[in-house]
Amino acid sequence: MRSDVLIVDDEPAIRRLLTGALDRSGITHVEAASATEALRLAAAHPQPVVVLLDLGLPDRDGIEIVPQLAGLGLAVIVLTARDATQEKVAALDLGADDFVTKPFDSEELLARIRSALRRKAGPLADASTREFAGGRIDRDRHRVTMGNVQVELTPREFNLLWALADRPGRVITHETLLETVWGPAHRQDLDYLRVAIRALRRKIEADPANPRLVVNEPGVGYRLAVG
Amino acid sequence: MDDQPPANDAERFLRLAQQEKRGRLTVYLGAAPGVGKTYRMLQEAARRQAEGRDVVVGIAETHGRSETAALLEPIELLPRRSIAHQNHTLDEFDIDAALARRPDLILVDELAHTNAPGSRHPKRWQDVAELLVAGIDVATTVNIQHIESLNDVVAGFTHVRVRETVPDSILERAEIIVVDLPPEALIERLEAGKVYLPETAGRALANFFTPTKLAALREMALRFAARNVDRRLADQLEISGEKDGYVGGDRVMVAVSPGKGGARVVRQAKRIADMFHAPWTAVVVESGSARAVRGGQREQLAENLALASSLGASLTTIVGTDVGRALVDHAKELQASQIVIGKSRRSRWFEWRHGSIAQDAIRLSHGVAVHVVPLDEADEKPERVRELNPYRDPLIALGLVAVTVSLLHLVPSWISAGAIDLVLLLPVILAATRLRMSGALWAAGWAALAYNFFFTEPYHTLDIYSTGDIITFVVLALVAAVIGALAGRIRRQAETSAGVARLNASLARFAGLMGGLSTWEETARVACDEISGLLEVETMIVAVDDGRLIVRGNAKYADLDMVDEAAAQWALERGEPTGRDTGTLNASDWQFHPLKTSLGTLGALGIARPLESRVIRPDDATLLASLVDQTALAHERLVLEAQARQVGTLRERDRLRGALLGSIAHDLRTPLTAVIAAAEAIPVEGDYAEEVRIAREESRRLQRFLNDLLEASRIEHGTIEPNWESVDLTDIVIAVLRDLRQDRTDTRIETAIDADCPLVRSDPLLLRHVLINLIDNALKFSPADRKVTVELFCDSGNATCRVLDSGPGLPAENADLFERFHRLEGGDRVGGSGLGLWIAKNFTEALGGAIGASNREGGGAVFTVFLPLSGRQETAAHA
Repeated sequence: MRSDVLIVDDEPAIRRLLTGALDRSGITHVEAASATEALRLAAAHPQPVVVLLDLGLPDRDGIEIVPQLAGLGLAVIVLTARDATQEKVAALDLGADDFVTKPFDSEELLARIRSALRRKAGPLADASTREFAGGRIDRDRHRVTMGNVQVELTPREFNLLWALADRPGRVITHETLLETVWGPAHRQDLDYLRVAIRALRRKIEADPANPRLVVNEPGVGYRLAVG
Repeated sequence: MDDQPPANDAERFLRLAQQEKRGRLTVYLGAAPGVGKTYRMLQEAARRQAEGRDVVVGIAETHGRSETAALLEPIELLPRRSIAHQNHTLDEFDIDAALARRPDLILVDELAHTNAPGSRHPKRWQDVAELLVAGIDVATTVNIQHIESLNDVVAGFTHVRVRETVPDSILERAEIIVVDLPPEALIERLEAGKVYLPETAGRALANFFTPTKLAALREMALRFAARNVDRRLADQLEISGEKDGYVGGDRVMVAVSPGKGGARVVRQAKRIADMFHAPWTAVVVESGSARAVRGGQREQLAENLALASSLGASLTTIVGTDVGRALVDHAKELQASQIVIGKSRRSRWFEWRHGSIAQDAIRLSHGVAVHVVPLDEADEKPERVRELNPYRDPLIALGLVAVTVSLLHLVPSWISAGAIDLVLLLPVILAATRLRMSGALWAAGWAALAYNFFFTEPYHTLDIYSTGDIITFVVLALVAAVIGALAGRIRRQAETSAGVARLNASLARFAGLMGGLSTWEETARVACDEISGLLEVETMIVAVDDGRLIVRGNAKYADLDMVDEAAAQWALERGEPTGRDTGTLNASDWQFHPLKTSLGTLGALGIARPLESRVIRPDDATLLASLVDQTALAHERLVLEAQARQVGTLRERDRLRGALLGSIAHDLRTPLTAVIAAAEAIPVEGDYAEEVRIAREESRRLQRFLNDLLEASRIEHGTIEPNWESVDLTDIVIAVLRDLRQDRTDTRIETAIDADCPLVRSDPLLLRHVLINLIDNALKFSPADRKVTVELFCDSGNATCRVLDSGPGLPAENADLFERFHRLEGGDRVGGSGLGLWIAKNFTEALGGAIGASNREGGGAVFTVFLPLSGRQETAAHA
């Protein structure tokens, strides 16, 4: 029988909690208590779709197996402490899809899992359009509409919004955004990104002083809200 | 050198600070006896007493004058101490009574007085110095001719030399009041019998009282007082920073020689140094020939150095055979601008032969003023060095020549006649290298006689026929003289450098030994053994342990008698050499040298020599000083090591505590995560809705508490290092609000955010922490139905974030609001670690910002965070 989610955590209590939450939502799952076991289950057939990975594992550092899990085609959601910024950035840069900070809210966690499952299960997105909360981007015509209103973006802002919308709901690190939009030479020029985000918010947010679409993850990156 | 001009500020400041606590000295200075110093001092004392000050007369001489006695009447008189001395008793000033009585001001007449034998100090000025140290103000009197540095000058034109002198140093810190009387008036008083003169002085002292001499003395007194004011003013000016470099960067160097002349030169140098307001250094040159100076002269040299030291000079010994060059080189090293040298009046012939140090110095020095002080021959009168055996050298020389002649007689056949005179040079050369110059000349004489007697015609007579023989004589004599001179110089150089090498080797060995010791007793014992061996003295080390004086390093002397103990105590407390051959408590058999370090006086080295007149030979004084320094250093090292060990222990304990805290926090975190997640998973509905809500909120609170503890331990260990990056403040505030809304079902937060604040350089996580703590705090203190407002705005210099609550506001005294474990009134009820504000403050400061708190008008508190805008304004970022 196919399992949707692979739970990797060495703490039995946490595993039990997670399995309980997944059972109630009707999401199937398997469990692993170590990195070795996780890799074995990730390679099994049928493959799980999403892996919920705790980084503090007894045999290996969880961060080490992120690339392998991602390489096997799984959507990796990392469980980390709130202040572990470096860890989050590293995990995302190594191919993780998303992260959830501990202590976690089970509703939020389930929402992230569902979103990941949808992304993996759903048809490949149309090559030229993206949709997000109330907005739509048409790359061929270089057009952005919020509701029914067309918004004028500079090419840079357009590319930035596209980079965010390309992976909606997921955090994209500062460096990745800078590299995609400005080029590899500008990976460290955080000022560019901050200013461009601000300009973008003025154009697409209902209240730029209280942005809800382009969400900041302090020290990590930005995320485009889905719902 | 220890008092280079630039280093002087601290020293001067220290001196002024010490003066605050020390007693103040007022000196009534007169040009001559009979000007009315005592009278004036008593008048002033009466005035002070009338002002309500506690004034006591320690000692005052009325010399039978009734006006003076009348003034003395109303002031409390300290009883004198009677000392039995050879059939009669002497009344002396009682210093112990004065210290016990502790008045505000004490009058001690006649500063230059010499105390009776058996007193604590040989001189009264030392009593006065002790009173000052004890914090008692002293008024005293002195005549100008008693002042050390002026002693010569006065003696020069009055032909009366007083033996009782007062060092200038004690007057330097005094307020000087000149008691002035025109010469004519003084002479009138003298003739009217109003001036008391000690009978012993008799006619000699009467020499003073001529109008010209009195005028000169009066001028000197006034000048001395004026200079004193000048110096005190300079001290004040430099401390208050009103004028930089008042000291002109001059430095005076004086070459000290033995004899009375040397003392004159030292005093002259002191006056020159005073004129320039310059520090000064007394230098002795250890040349080979100076080393030949023995016995009495050696001691005189030591006395002259002591005089220089008491007049405020720092002392140095330099080594060099060419005295003039050595002096000039050292002057350059010291950057001295003035050199003072004595020059005896000697014949041109003497100077031609021996050279003149003064001439050399003048010739070699560039840009340095050389002061030459002429010396009388009487000053110089070198004490002849007595030969141990005056016949030794001539006899050895004779023996050498005799052996050579015998050898020549044994092998006459193959020695050509012309070689004989050459062979006869051998004993001369041998004598010249082994004996003194006189021995070499004796050998030359003997060789010439032998040559004449045995080897020239007519044989076996002393007659001379050929001029060639005369030339041989002369050559022998010249060779003897030249080789003798050269060999002598080489030998002296060798002796000097061997002496220096020996000294250095002993010191190096001593330092090496001292370096390896780790206990007090061992250090003291090794130091004592080594110093005993090097200086041939008895040694001990005294120190204070647990408030008690103890002897270390020499078990033989574990019990000190009273006098020795007093001397040891004095050396420890005052940090000055005390006991035998010193100025203080010299009835003790021991001489104690304080072990002075940067940490204070850690002990004292006691030395004694049973059978000699002086404990320390003058030659050994420098070695002793170095040994004392080394011993002091070793003691200082022991103290520092002990301190370091203690610090190490504390640090280790701190580290363990940190590690423990870290591991506890981690172990608590994991189960807590599960608890929170579990609580969140239970729906808040049905009969147990309230319980579930409590479980959720309290577990969240526990988690915040834990986080606070962890952050606090990070702060305490100084491991807060901001991760600087470009930060959009709006982003941070919004993220914080999002987090908080997630945590609580709270919708009480209102915002007023300026979305156009420029970017700042900051650390987003630290910043978020600060804001979460403040907002959390505000929510805690606001009633459930009232709003909390978060504001963000910017001006040209700062970004300001304010958190306003509707709680009870801050108590009136809120100075320690940001301290650890501070809880506002009622804080216990609301809950919290008491660390939140402290953490917020520390993080804000780590980010270069500031945090403050005040009350709102109309109730509630407002916390404000200021962050500097770093000047990195929003740039056109190719957007």
